[in-house]
Amino acid sequence: MPEIKVTPLGAGQDVGRSCILVSIAGKNVMLDCGMHMGYNDDRRFPDFSYITQNGRLTDFLDCVIISHFHLDHCGALPYFSEMVGYDGPIYMTHPTKAICPILLEDYRKITVDKKGETNFFTSQMIKDCMKKVVAVHLHQTVQVDEELEIKAYYAGHVLGAAMFQIKVGCESVVYTGDYNMTPDRHLGAAWIDKCRPDLLISESTYATTIRDSKRCRERDFLKKVHETVERGGKVLIPVFALGRAQELCILLETFWERMNLKAPIYFSTGLTEKANHYYKLFITWTNQKIRKTFVQRNMFEFKHIKAFDRAFADNPGPMVVFATPGMLHAGQSLQIFRKWAGNEKNMVIMPGYCVQGTVGHKILSGQRKLEMEGRQILEVKMQVEYMSFSAHADAKGIMQLIRQAEPRNVLLVHGEAKKMEFLKQKIEQEFHVNCYMPANGETTTILTNPCIPVDISLGLLKRETAIGPLPDAKKPKLMHGTLLMKDNSFRLVCPEQALKELGLAEHQLRFTCRVHIQDPRKEHETVLRVYNHLKGVLKDYSVQHLPDGSITVESILIQATAHSEDQGTKVLLVSWTYQDEELGSYLTSLLKKGLPQST
Amino acid sequence: YRDLHTFELQAPTRLIEWARGNRVCVAGYGQSDGNEILQLIPPPTLQTKETQGLCPERDFKVECGGFSKRPVYSLKYVPDTSLLVTSGPPDSSLQVWQVSAEDSDVIKSVSTIATENGTGQSWAKIATISARAPWVLHGSRLDRVHITEVESRKNVYTAASRGSEELSGLAFLDCNTLLLCCTTGQLCLADVRQPQSPVEAVSVPSAPCSERWCMSTRYGAQGLEPSSQPVARLSSRGLLTLTDLRKTSESLASAKARVPSPGSGAEFLCISWAPALEGCLAVSGFDGTVHVYDTQRWDSSGREAEPIFIHKGHAFGGSGDPPLVTVHTWHLQKPRTLLSAASDGSLHVWDWVQPCGKC
Repeated sequence: MPEIKVTPLGAGQDVGRSCILVSIAGKNVMLDCGMHMGYNDDRRFPDFSYITQNGRLTDFLDCVIISHFHLDHCGALPYFSEMVGYDGPIYMTHPTKAICPILLEDYRKITVDKKGETNFFTSQMIKDCMKKVVAVHLHQTVQVDEELEIKAYYAGHVLGAAMFQIKVGCESVVYTGDYNMTPDRHLGAAWIDKCRPDLLISESTYATTIRDSKRCRERDFLKKVHETVERGGKVLIPVFALGRAQELCILLETFWERMNLKAPIYFSTGLTEKANHYYKLFITWTNQKIRKTFVQRNMFEFKHIKAFDRAFADNPGPMVVFATPGMLHAGQSLQIFRKWAGNEKNMVIMPGYCVQGTVGHKILSGQRKLEMEGRQILEVKMQVEYMSFSAHADAKGIMQLIRQAEPRNVLLVHGEAKKMEFLKQKIEQEFHVNCYMPANGETTTILTNPCIPVDISLGLLKRETAIGPLPDAKKPKLMHGTLLMKDNSFRLVCPEQALKELGLAEHQLRFTCRVHIQDPRKEHETVLRVYNHLKGVLKDYSVQHLPDGSITVESILIQATAHSEDQGTKVLLVSWTYQDEELGSYLTSLLKKGLPQST
Repeated sequence: YRDLHTFELQAPTRLIEWARGNRVCVAGYGQSDGNEILQLIPPPTLQTKETQGLCPERDFKVECGGFSKRPVYSLKYVPDTSLLVTSGPPDSSLQVWQVSAEDSDVIKSVSTIATENGTGQSWAKIATISARAPWVLHGSRLDRVHITEVESRKNVYTAASRGSEELSGLAFLDCNTLLLCCTTGQLCLADVRQPQSPVEAVSVPSAPCSERWCMSTRYGAQGLEPSSQPVARLSSRGLLTLTDLRKTSESLASAKARVPSPGSGAEFLCISWAPALEGCLAVSGFDGTVHVYDTQRWDSSGREAEPIFIHKGHAFGGSGDPPLVTVHTWHLQKPRTLLSAASDGSLHVWDWVQPCGKC
């Protein structure tokens, strides 16, 4: 039986790095190549030795696909392609290709410059790696080679995130990456057509979560910002250039407008231009509303949000500042943080996950005395808040996606085995498909039932459709033909054609049955009786009395002779071909019942 | 409000039960057979005394779940065991489940407690206790009240009663005394040690008409003489009465809740005492709101009482018909926090501020 093999090298049953190996119809594809943010040593990279102990990865893998720019999905890519060694194609969407290198470089800087690690990729490696990238558009079928094709679908979650369909012949796998089934202010919801893949690989990090409504989170966020600003404090929101920052900007802008607030909101210089540039470039990736309004005015040109200048940080009075980088590890956001940390009226709101070792991580863990460069101690008196607006699918979202795609099997990654049993049962019960949850390094084999396409001869098609009821678009129609497997091709033809092509002669099978009838009259009178009887019963059939004394019913022949020993018994010989089996049997049993008295 | 969190369940629930370790349980009551029983871990914001605004963990987590073939109308945990009991249409039998959250996240169906099913039997109301052994008190009608030992499924007690009124609720006042409430509003007491003596009706509402009643006893008031706590009853027309079980000849106090025109059905009538606030109770089931009343302001006149707080959150759901609040419950420790669920699948957790005046 043909099969699809899936081995998670990371994100089997842990949240951290995603890297999944898929073998489908002889092709090997690597899905994502993520870094585990919690480890400082080689454990942060997926175990590539699993793929092949010796031998080059380029020969073994047909392609690598990256779903989106989050480091736990692409962080190990330069390490993989330049340090371990891979020269084949790497596929990702255009926004991902544009943004990935920025994040990778940023991360490299923290790890090498700040933490002084040595076994890490260099800036040049990042550049070399990106040269191997082939960017794809949504819903564009890309031929990786003659047999393997891939297609990207919108996944929501972050700018450029995509779900990928990998197809070889008629076997296919869909990998979701991280996705979100509910739209937010700047991104739409994930969508896929009823592609009916053999396997759907879905993340399940938030499957066991029932999320607080977005309105409540936003309301609390705005409340905190408002309270701080009202008492004259300053709010620092460290962000990465693209992602939640845009979402929060739109949120604050609307709130400021509604509440008629006067405190200034600033956005780091460079950030605005870059963000605007990317959003304009990738406008088709944002949600409907943004696209509609973008024509009239640039949604990312805000009325209340202005470009920031370093000097503003010293201005008195309340303000809100969005500054990069997001984990407070360097640059402008750290500078501003140092200036404002000492005042308890101020607040810093961390928007998401912070890598260990960064200032962001430290203050979120509760540290309030930080050692800065030059042995300086910084006392943090400002309020530290954390909020997470990350967009992942919950159990309801996962069910929705499965309903949309209609896969034959489901495989869950990114969750803990014990906690996924319930979801597994839920999926199995509702959709009657198998649900798998492999651990890292564990290979799951999924049996598929591929369809084999066969050419059908026009003549056969025409002939078969003429028989029986009219073809119905919704119901399968049964046809009879002969399957010829010749010269590496499959063809369905009518039997006569097959015989001709194969040079075989057709054999005719003929059955003869004897029916005894009690009738003392002469043979020809018996024949007449039989003829009249049959004519009366078989009104829809052609019943004929031939001059030679035999009767034909369609192509079935009936002849009467007298029994050799008993003149009172007549023997009817009923003879039919194999094709007339049904009618022949019917006639025989009819005649066996005897003739009616009257004729 | 001091705090308000809204969540959306995949399917609406008509029960919210507290379990050991601050867990909360909800269950679906739809007609199809894929009803889920979910044991949830509330977000840390609900577990600490202070309310944190932007806490990183603000979500409920599904700790474990089970699948029920029938709609789940009532669910009770059996104390000191890892079992829970559910009931629901079409008959009055009970289903017993095992929760073993450490080993797996599936709530497994263990057994069924069958009951004799006469005609017109509705679903059983249940209450549990583990004083002498894990027991479940159940019944859908006054003449079909039993106590069954949960693990062995042995019948331990059958109430001898003359009436066959439908029950709207039952409770253990202590390990020997049962309180039964009929939909006609009648309260009855029974003693487990005296199964032969018939169940006594101790209080009948003064103006019986075709309304339906439900009741609430003080939630697990430890160490206090249980029968000294007043029993509150709510009718489908909004009448509220408090009765002292030691002196049942007259009601302690009564009032009328401000409700929209009756006729919205009595399916989800719910009344409950606050475990940590003296004299406060909450009422819901008439529309998309939950009312909180201070019974210490009531007298025996029965006139309309002003609620000290109204939670309207559910009414601002999505489009379509406004939802009906199906159930509400108080937080066991945080005095002014409640959880409420509505027919549109919403689940709210809210903490109200006492308007002007005492704590």
